Amino acid sequence: MINLVLAELLKFRTTRTFWGLAGSALGLVLLIVILTLAIDDHLNTEQDVRDLLSTAGIYGLMALILGVVAGAGEYRHGTIAWTLLVTPNRLRAVGGGVIACFLGGLAIGVVVASCVTAVALPWLSAKDAVLPPTGDLLKILLGGVLYAALAAALGSAFGQLLRNQVAGVVIVLVLIFVVDPVIAGLLENVGQFTLTGLGIAMSGGDNGDTNVLPLGVAALVWALYTALFTALAVIFTSRRDI
Amino acid sequence: MVTGVLEVRDLTKRYGANLAVDGLSFKAEPGRVLGFLGPNGAGKTTTLRMLLGLTLPTSGDAVVDLVPYRMLSDPIKVVGAVLEGPQFHPGRSGRNHLRVLATAAGLPSSRVEEVLRLVELEGAGNKRVKAYSLGMRQRLSLAGALLGDPRALVLDEPANGLDPQGIRWLRDFIRAQGGAGRTVLVSSHVLAEMAQTVDEVVVISQGRLVAQGSLDELTSGVEAPVWVRCADPDRLQAVLGARDGVTAEPGEAAGGWLAVRGASLEDVGTAALEAGVAVFELYRPRQSLESVFLELTSGTDAGR
Repeated sequence: MINLVLAELLKFRTTRTFWGLAGSALGLVLLIVILTLAIDDHLNTEQDVRDLLSTAGIYGLMALILGVVAGAGEYRHGTIAWTLLVTPNRLRAVGGGVIACFLGGLAIGVVVASCVTAVALPWLSAKDAVLPPTGDLLKILLGGVLYAALAAALGSAFGQLLRNQVAGVVIVLVLIFVVDPVIAGLLENVGQFTLTGLGIAMSGGDNGDTNVLPLGVAALVWALYTALFTALAVIFTSRRDI
Repeated sequence: MVTGVLEVRDLTKRYGANLAVDGLSFKAEPGRVLGFLGPNGAGKTTTLRMLLGLTLPTSGDAVVDLVPYRMLSDPIKVVGAVLEGPQFHPGRSGRNHLRVLATAAGLPSSRVEEVLRLVELEGAGNKRVKAYSLGMRQRLSLAGALLGDPRALVLDEPANGLDPQGIRWLRDFIRAQGGAGRTVLVSSHVLAEMAQTVDEVVVISQGRLVAQGSLDELTSGVEAPVWVRCADPDRLQAVLGARDGVTAEPGEAAGGWLAVRGASLEDVGTAALEAGVAVFELYRPRQSLESVFLELTSGTDAGR
């Protein structure tokens, strides 16, 4: 399994897609943070700082898309046949992709969180902003990293199940930007279990909202979603003709 | 024990109302090159993909060393495959494509360089695949098939896109693989090329087996008459004509020729000796693989 995961990671490293999406995530998050720090003069309270740092959680969405693109990309380019010739066991083949995406998302998360920390904290100190306790800061940053890793893994499982990159990305965007807000608006208690609700819980963007799950529970629910889609991808990949 | 015996037994694949493969059975053995022939849509690619675990059979078995491909623990070391119209990530280099396969299979990166040299792509290994010609992609696909130094090779239309030099290289390559004791199962439309490459052939049409045997058996013209030129054709005609199932007709050309059906070369020679008739020439015309193929598959709808 280790070899398989290493091969999947090598796939990331040997195409431009991974680097492009990872770079976009980093660039977008840094742009938001820097613009906010440069323009907003009201970053005074701990909550303001929490809100700023949690915006970095947007890279979780990028990681989710990266996972979908990687998972469905094998079918788009026809390289799935090579993968299954070397690894005919569908559980191992699908699982290897999901684990590799988890690790890829983790790497993106670590890089983005490190860069945000390196830029934002000195800047905030210079502005005499009140920083949250170190434990809270770590929770926000590590939660964001975990969100990115889990998001990429779920994206991979979903992409492998759906097999169509464009449809996969569109469905994810519609879920995040249309379906989730509608659910959250209509069914307040269910909203915390949507992808958006779980993402907010993990990246620390709860803004003191009581209808947000604790980080650990949110991560567990997200992991269960990932396990469910991974199982479906394994079942369908086993029954499909390639 | 890994021997690389490829076998399909009563293999059937149905797509809705379309029966793509219908109760097909054959076996490919080590040290032999087995040609897999059939018109377009005969079910060749479907059969090979079932053998490789990429397509699920409706019924029957497709096994490697008696085990379905999906159950092989280290398949790349047992079977190497070239799929029809092989696909690659266009943005990945040929070398990196092979590195991915080698990493997944736990093979050293030195093996990547070896197979790149073997298929004469070492100079193009760092180019992105989108810059490869069709022939280069075929070679890259062959390199992928050879990566695990497998006991068997399954090659689906490997000559597609190769130029004449490439086809000659492929022929020598396939012969060498068979000579090295590997099982080689190869499908191709280039019949003249197959005739120079394979030891045995399996011919299918509409998903069914229509002929199987060594190249010699199929092209020796079993249905063709034995031609004999002798000193006394009338006497020999009478002797042969008296035998059950044997007919002897004078040839159109002058010179004492007889066309004998229902008898082997040995039968005709022995009969002439016993009749005391001097034989000047005796032969059975060989058929080309192409003519045998067309004869066997004529009347089938090739559009499926």
